[in-house]
Amino acid sequence: MGTPSHLLLMSLFAACVAIVGGVLMHDTLRQQARTAAEIFGGLMASALVLGWILYVFPL
Amino acid sequence: MAGRPSQKRAPAAPPPPSKPLWLIYLLGWLIPGGAHLWLGRPTKGLAFLVMLPLMFAIGLAFEGRLFPFNLAEPLAALAAVADIAVGLPYFIAKALGSGAGRALAATFEYGNAFLISAGLLNAMVILDAHDIALGRK
Repeated sequence: MGTPSHLLLMSLFAACVAIVGGVLMHDTLRQQARTAAEIFGGLMASALVLGWILYVFPL
Repeated sequence: MAGRPSQKRAPAAPPPPSKPLWLIYLLGWLIPGGAHLWLGRPTKGLAFLVMLPLMFAIGLAFEGRLFPFNLAEPLAALAAVADIAVGLPYFIAKALGSGAGRALAATFEYGNAFLISAGLLNAMVILDAHDIALGRK
């Protein structure tokens, strides 16, 4: 098995955290799904933005 | 102005929890979602019962490390506390000898992130159970 994609692993992590966060914060399925989608989007977007910013500063 | 003295009512004190709080904390810690199940929130409880051990298992599968509690390395000690916060899955993994971690694995850091996050999320789940027990939610 080759090296897994970082984007895929990051998405998996964001999805897990988003599901738990959504369920934790609300009681109805609709609200939970909405919050989970927001958390997922926020995690993915911030990771991609930070990734691009760090690209300017190679270590 | 002739008026009656203001009759501001003090907010009613919340009723005492019907179940002992320490037992809720203990159950919530040992079995992720267990406190919610006990408090009559089966949907939430089942979601936590599936998701948190799943995250922990993914962390182990990604060759993450269960950090030892060593105060000489404060960050590792904090990670150890987060690992332990997931409850029974931690002790089962330790008993089975897994969680040694392989730093050279490409997924090592992801594994650590999953393991630590599972524990930290379980801590938040316990706080949620606390609020439910006190009638705040």
